[in-house]
Parts: sequence; structure tokens; C-alpha cells
Amino acid sequence: MAENGESSGPPRPSRGPAAAQGSAAAPAEPKIIKVTVKTPKEKEEFAVPENSSVQQFKEAISKRFKSQTDQLVLIFAGKILKDQDTLIQHGIHDGLTVHLVIKSQNRPQGQSTQPSNAAGTNTTSASTPRSNSTPISTNSNPFGLGSLGGLAGLSSLGLSSTNFSELQSQMQQQLMASPEMMIQIMENPFVQSMLSNPDLMRQLIMANPQMQQLIQRNPEISHLLNNPDIMRQTLEIARNPAMMQEMMRNQDLALSNLESIPGGYNALRRMYTDIQEPMLNAAQEQFGGNPFASVGSSSSSGEGTQPSRTENRDPLPNPWAPPPATQSSATTSTTTSTGSGSGNSSSNATGNTVAAANYVASIFSTPGMQSLLQQITENPQLIQNMLSAPYMRSMMQSLSQNPDLAQMQNPDTLSAMSNPRAMQALMQIQQGLQTLATEAPGLIPSFTPGPPGSTGSGGPTGPTVSSAAPSETTSPTSESGPNQQFIQQMVQALAGANAPQLPNPEVRFQQQLEQLNAMGFLNREANLQALIATGGDINAAIERLLGSQPS
Amino acid sequence: MAATTGSGVKVPRNFRLLEELEEGQKGVGDGTVSWGLEDDEDMTLTRWTGMIIGPPRTIYENRIYSLKIECGPKYPEAPPFVRFVTKINMNGVNSSNGVVDPRAISVLAKWENSYSIKVVLQELRRLMMSKENMKLPQPPEGQCYSN
Repeated sequence: MAENGESSGPPRPSRGPAAAQGSAAAPAEPKIIKVTVKTPKEKEEFAVPENSSVQQFKEAISKRFKSQTDQLVLIFAGKILKDQDTLIQHGIHDGLTVHLVIKSQNRPQGQSTQPSNAAGTNTTSASTPRSNSTPISTNSNPFGLGSLGGLAGLSSLGLSSTNFSELQSQMQQQLMASPEMMIQIMENPFVQSMLSNPDLMRQLIMANPQMQQLIQRNPEISHLLNNPDIMRQTLEIARNPAMMQEMMRNQDLALSNLESIPGGYNALRRMYTDIQEPMLNAAQEQFGGNPFASVGSSSSSGEGTQPSRTENRDPLPNPWAPPPATQSSATTSTTTSTGSGSGNSSSNATGNTVAAANYVASIFSTPGMQSLLQQITENPQLIQNMLSAPYMRSMMQSLSQNPDLAQMQNPDTLSAMSNPRAMQALMQIQQGLQTLATEAPGLIPSFTPGPPGSTGSGGPTGPTVSSAAPSETTSPTSESGPNQQFIQQMVQALAGANAPQLPNPEVRFQQQLEQLNAMGFLNREANLQALIATGGDINAAIERLLGSQPS
Repeated sequence: MAATTGSGVKVPRNFRLLEELEEGQKGVGDGTVSWGLEDDEDMTLTRWTGMIIGPPRTIYENRIYSLKIECGPKYPEAPPFVRFVTKINMNGVNSSNGVVDPRAISVLAKWENSYSIKVVLQELRRLMMSKENMKLPQPPEGQCYSN
């Protein structure tokens, strides 16, 4: 009967072994028992008096395990030991094991307060009660998750990681990998409301140490951040993923135009490596690079926010407008003489329309350009990083000031552009206008670029100088007179463009005109138009004339 | 006394349960589950309580789940009845009363008499770590089923 703690004794711990514990028969004497305390990770042995309370036991444990007593949860035989119980009460004897669970303070289960940051969760239950926590709480978030900090609340729901920093990197990876998720997140009203508060965004962005480093290196970014207008536009863009893609595309194309400038490609490449690398590094730390991308595209938001959210199917903006402004102003580091030289040359914008058209065509054929495009398409991150480069920003500013681009994004324009017959009609109008320009120059008010180039692919726009432009650009989406705008701009473009290169179509085509006359085409005007349209090719002009007769 | 069950030897119920009690008190295993008699005076060794510590890196992390286990008279030939006391959202557990569905949990569905309470608890814990369960949203901590 006096089995000493070898607990194959009777299972009535309160009776048998307790009395049999001590070698003597005096149960009142507190005997020290050795109890093993086991956590999932560790195991420690404690010698405590057998009649001690659980509270006392916990105090001893807390010293050894370096935790607070209220963090300790003791379990024995499937029961949680409450502080006011005694060890004997639960039948804890010498040699037995008690399980210990140490509750950590930071419980990212979506239950507790700050770290869950549920301000922006898309999903459900457990974190929605916390989602009322104001976005300001994200500022105090030590991990500085940035614009989408609220999504940390998703941890309890969507991601396996509960450790906060793991969570952050997981989120980043997931979001980078999945644009759909990004879109969903963007559409979340919480996120949107958070994004629409520029002060908040700025704080968020500034709170991130990498961002701060970046700002030190590139003060322009801090200017950006401090400019509420830009921030607001940025955030608007950031909120609309379609718009964002649109922006990126434009910028990408504008960049590609730099290729056309002699030496421009090299300068570009140099710029990229100088600026891209630190940006890449910083952006990869930063969540998703989103703040960067939006920051980079912010200045062009002026044009971006105006047009509707339709895709811009137009291939290229004006190759000449952006580079002069940017090349001279933007490069923070290696501005080369070619850069400024090209800036000068292209600032001489008049009469460059046709040249622009040719360049546009040649741009894409440049192998360097193609490799660049390929790189870009393969690595969307690259685009984001590129966009965030400071020089991009100023380029975008100039782009935004470019009225043509705004015009381009007018949906009417776009649909017109994509309709080949419309394009042809436009061309005919052009030709007519050209004729008009040469024959009655007094009718042409001034020089401005218009969306369809003189002879070219209908892509490039002319040079920037404009007087009447503001009136047109202020309402690219106005329903009132896209046609009027077209005509006006075309007239001006043609007048401006054709003046230097086609001094007088009549003179040029004098010979052809005479031939056509001899063949029997007596309508001089039509002949001229046809010749202009075909660029002096008699046969084609004849076909044109013949084709247009029945209509 | 018949600590190991040979293939043909049928260990009497009480012996088995005593053995399990001892194991529970000694903390056999990795310390993530615990079990013991609900009432130390229970001579029939029927009602047991169990405890599962939520596995890390799951939604159950840092939570302690309490269970009630009932070993019927046919134990260990028949599986025990298992019920969660702490509210939990998990496949195979009835969300209104915490009863573990014996058909949904493999060790209960295909019970062998070599299984034990420890095995059941450990299996439930393992299921908490499965993909289908590890992210299920959970009720706030500390809630229990009413019955």
C-alpha cells in the first residue's frame, strides 16, 4: 500500500498515494515534491511543497521561464489549474508532469488590438470588430506596412503566418504575385477611404524606414509627398487599378520615345541603373511598391484623371514633347551632354511632325527598344520601379502638360482612331486642309498639334507650342466638339507641319497635275487632293480619284 | 500487467483506462495534449477531460481547447465520445454543441482497440494543422458550448 509515487497504484489520488507519499505517516508535513513542468519546447523540474497552491507554483515557474504569472497556463490531466487550487487538489504528486502554456502578449490572431490593424480587411468575422480601429492605428504600426497596412488583419483569415513580420513579407509576395488580389484589395472601401486621405498616406509612407532612406537620397520624393495635390491625384490613381495600368503604359511608351534621340538610349540605360537599383531594393522592401508607383505616376495624374477609364489604344504619344523638358531637368545623376543636346534639338519643335512620325515607326524597330519592352513586360516590378524614378516624374509632368495626350485619351478620339475608314476620312480632311492651308493661309489661326499627324501613322502629335491649346485641352472629355477640336487641331497641325516641308503641294505636284489633266481628270482640286494623299504617286492618285467618283 | 496489447490479448477496460490515466498524469508525449479524469472519484473511469494546445502557425495558435471524453463500457473496443467544450470552428466538429463527429475523424471512424485517448487528442490536434482547418475563422477565445 505504501507505494511511493510509482503511480501504478490505485487511481484515487486523493486517498491512497497522498497518504502513502511520505515515508512517515504524517500527511500534514509538507513534503517537497518534484514536478516536471513541460512546455511544447522545454521541460523543467520544480521542487515545491506538495501543499502549495497553484499560484505559488506559478510564481516559481515564472521565475524560471521568465514570464509573468498571468501569462502562464498550467494544465494537468486535461484540466486547467486555477490559481486558487492546490496541487494536491488536482492530484499532482511527485514525479508527475504538468503542462505549461505561456501566453504571449502579441497575439496576432486578429483578436488583440494594435498589431492586427484590421483597418483594411476585405474579409470577415474575426477581424471586422477590430476594423473600426481607425486608420491612424496603422501609423503606429511598427512594421510600417504602408498603404495596405490594414490588410495585416488578413493574417488571421487568409494567411498562414501569424508572426507579424512573416506576415508582412508573405503579404507582399502574395500581392506582388497576384494582380487580381491587388485589384480586390484596391476596391475595398476601407482601403479606398484610407487611400483618399493624403495626410494619412504621407504618414504611412514616411513611416517606413526604407522610404526615409530613399527620401534622403532623392529629395524630389519628399517634395512629391508634401504636395497635397499630387498626393491626392496619386491616390486617386492608386485607387483605380485600371487607371494605374493606363498610366504605366503611357509612361512606358513615353520612355520608349527616348530611344529615338541619338544617344538617348544609352542615357536611358545609365539612368535606369543608377536610379533603378536603389529603387528596386527599396521597393522590394516596401510593400508591393505601390506607394512608389503611385508616387511616380502622380504628376501625370492631371491628364490621367480626366479621361474616362477606357483603354488607351493609341500607340504613342508625342516623342518630342517629353524628352526636352525632362532630359534637361530630370536627371539627378548622370546627365550627359547628349541629353541636354537632344533637349535643345528637340525643343526646336516646329516642323517636326513628320520627322516625329518617322521616328515613331523607327522606335519600335530599334532592337534596343524591343529588348526594353520585352524586359518590361516580363517584369512588371520593373515598370513600377521605373515609374518611381524621379526623372520619370518630371517627364510625366511634362506629359501631363502635353495637351495632345489628353486629347488622345478622349474616347471619341480613340474610337475614331481605331476605325480605319474614319482614319481615311480624317486623312482626306487633312489633305483638304493642307490644300486650304496653302491656298488660303489666312484661314488658319495658329500652330498647334493635332492628333493625326500629317502623313504618318496617325499616332504622333506635333510640337507643343500652342495658344489655342488650353481651350481644347481643358475639355478633352467634353462632348461639345470633339469634331471641332479635330478640325482645328488638324488645321493647325497641317499648317504648321506642312509649311516647312511642303512649300506648295501645287508646285510639287505640278507635273503630276498636268499628267492627270491630260488623262482627263479635270477636277484640279480633286487631283491635288489625291496627289497629296498619295504623296505624288500618279497611279495611286488615279485610283483614288476613280474610287471616289462613284461615292 | 498487460501493458502491451498483443494481438490476441484483450485488456480489460479498467486496466486500459488506468494506464491512460497514468500516462496523462505523467505527461507522456510532447506536451501539446493533456488528459485526465474529470472527476478523481469516478470509479468507472468514464468521464475524462482533455486539453489540446493549439498548434503554432495556425489560427488555433496560443489557444487551449478543452474537451470532454467519454469512454463507454465497451471501450477500448468501441471509440470514445469526444466533445469540445471550448468553442471551435473545425471540420468534423459540430458547431453548435462541439460534438466531434465520429464519422469525420479517421481515428474514430476506424477505431482500433490499440488506440487511446492520447491518440484521439493528438489526431485532433493534427487535424487543426491541416490545410482545410488551419485558417478557418474562429470564435473569440474563451467561449464554451452551452451544454
